Amino acid sequence: MSLFVQSLVLGVLLGGLYALLAAGLTLYFGVMRVVMIAHSAFLILAAYLAWVFTRETGLDPLLSMVGTVPLFFVVGVAIQRLLMARLRPATLTMMSVLLTFSIALVIEGMLGWLFTGTQRRVRLPYGGADFEAAGANVAVVKLIAFVLAALSLLALYLLLTRTRFGQALRATIQHPEAARLVGIDTDRTAGYGFGIGLATAAIGGTALALDSTIYPSLHWHWIGPLMAIIVVGGLGSIPGAAIAAMILGIGQALLQIPLNTTWAQTIFYVALFVTLMVRPQGFFGGRLAQRF
Amino acid sequence: MPSASDRTRGSGLTTALKIVGILALAAAVLSFPSFAANPFILSVGVVIMSYAVLATGWNFVGGFTGYMSLGHAAYSGLGGYATALLIIESGINPWLALVLGALLTAVIAVPVGIASLRVRGASFVIVSIAFVLILQLVFQSWGEFTGGSNGLRVPRPFGPDVLRPEQHERFFYLHAAVLAIALLTWWLIDRSRFGIGLKAIREDEDKAQALGIPTFNYKLVAFVVSAFFTAVGGGLYALWFGFLDPIFQFSILIGSYMVLMSLLGGIRSLFGPMLGALVVGYSVEFFKNEYGDTQFHLVATGLLLGLVVLFMPDGVLPALAALLRRFRPQESSIREVTQAELAEQRNSDPITQGAKR
Repeated sequence: MSLFVQSLVLGVLLGGLYALLAAGLTLYFGVMRVVMIAHSAFLILAAYLAWVFTRETGLDPLLSMVGTVPLFFVVGVAIQRLLMARLRPATLTMMSVLLTFSIALVIEGMLGWLFTGTQRRVRLPYGGADFEAAGANVAVVKLIAFVLAALSLLALYLLLTRTRFGQALRATIQHPEAARLVGIDTDRTAGYGFGIGLATAAIGGTALALDSTIYPSLHWHWIGPLMAIIVVGGLGSIPGAAIAAMILGIGQALLQIPLNTTWAQTIFYVALFVTLMVRPQGFFGGRLAQRF
Repeated sequence: MPSASDRTRGSGLTTALKIVGILALAAAVLSFPSFAANPFILSVGVVIMSYAVLATGWNFVGGFTGYMSLGHAAYSGLGGYATALLIIESGINPWLALVLGALLTAVIAVPVGIASLRVRGASFVIVSIAFVLILQLVFQSWGEFTGGSNGLRVPRPFGPDVLRPEQHERFFYLHAAVLAIALLTWWLIDRSRFGIGLKAIREDEDKAQALGIPTFNYKLVAFVVSAFFTAVGGGLYALWFGFLDPIFQFSILIGSYMVLMSLLGGIRSLFGPMLGALVVGYSVEFFKNEYGDTQFHLVATGLLLGLVVLFMPDGVLPALAALLRRFRPQESSIREVTQAELAEQRNSDPITQGAKR
């Protein structure tokens, strides 16, 4: 029983991080119909930046977010305005995949080149700390990562629902032409949407650096599950992505009891396959997802 | 060389030139082993031919339908493993195992295709990457059957009296034969009604559907044919190389090489992927030799892919043709390549004359 509770808690903590990252990934799809393969590469890049920051300054890796979040936002806007906007609309979906894929390769190659393939880990004074809660053992770093992800998701939710910019962004996602007609600068809004998506990768990467070992090719282990999550949740739907992330994260953690870690990860791919067979537009997706 | 510029002329002279060109190409390929200075050069030649087979296999789905699969390494890897495991487990003839392995891979590709092709591009790409990642996981952890992370030794198809250079030479010709069959199949599909349907899907899937093309079935058939040829390429490589490791077989990088080669050469042309394989394959081998194990080849691959996507998404051959066309009288059509292709189809295939407005 305690093993079950333990796995459940771990699953919720992991699901939170998945939810934040999948929200970013589905946001790109929403604003530009782009599958951003490089999302997880930026995630690992942010983790490396946090690691370098801690190694050089000795400060807490969380502080590196002060620099990485704005930086990633700007990079995201630049990627949208300078690269994605140049692609032909007719072949945008396919070509943008290839373009972001090439960005991912460049990031992975650069990380491997600069820091070698050695596994890295941030050393933290509270790295080994944990506490008991409801019969489960919770590592402090995992809790910090979860809280960080939850707060960012909440901020994203408030930004999208309560602000004028959020309204403009959602209008751009729902119907770009109509959004232009009511006076929204959809190009600029899409650029900012991309920036926000990449900023989630910066936050997620810092959270990841707290409690995992990182290495350059790690991003392939993240992009598969994240892409599966956004398809299950319905492409372009942020609540869908968050719900699917939570369910699949918990599912993965629970499956680790009877199976080993590797086989438990296949739950994402099984869910992806089943979703496409049964309900190709995803379980929470709207009209948008049906066409892709 | 069937570039767009000489299609529009379509006279007997160009046909003769094409035949001469193809014969010259075949002669150049077949005489390569006798020119190769040493066994290493010959082995690089085999690798490039292997890439050419894989890229041409990829182009059955990428070129005709415009659906870019980044995970075609799944099918080359499955072809390799299926061939090796069939030989090891049942002891059948290696060449029979190669064909059976490729057929088995094609069968596996059917449900994957059904799942990924029901909706449009984005899901297809996601499934293509996810499938190669899942296969890597499975083949690494299923140790007792696939050899797991330790890899799998593939039995040699030729006896121990056949030495290395001789092996390389034989496999070079085998790859050339498979490549020729793949190219011939591509060419036949290109000229068929089926091929026209596929190209209509690439240009505008909604309109193709409205014209009564069974888009889903067409895409699925193209996908399975593509998986079959890719698997043959993978199986042949496994027999030549003699060792399989899930990290390298089910690698995203191999899949991206296939895309890069085809895209660089031109996905709309018959010989595009082969040309791309020559350029990319040679560069990859060169990089490996010069810079060894550094991660720099990832950066180079990424940059090259990005540049191709941004600046010549139609490939080198069409880009050169377009450059030549600049010095000719202007054509009125906006979609020049497409129109030229349509015009050619109209000339060559009387059935569709009515169908195209």
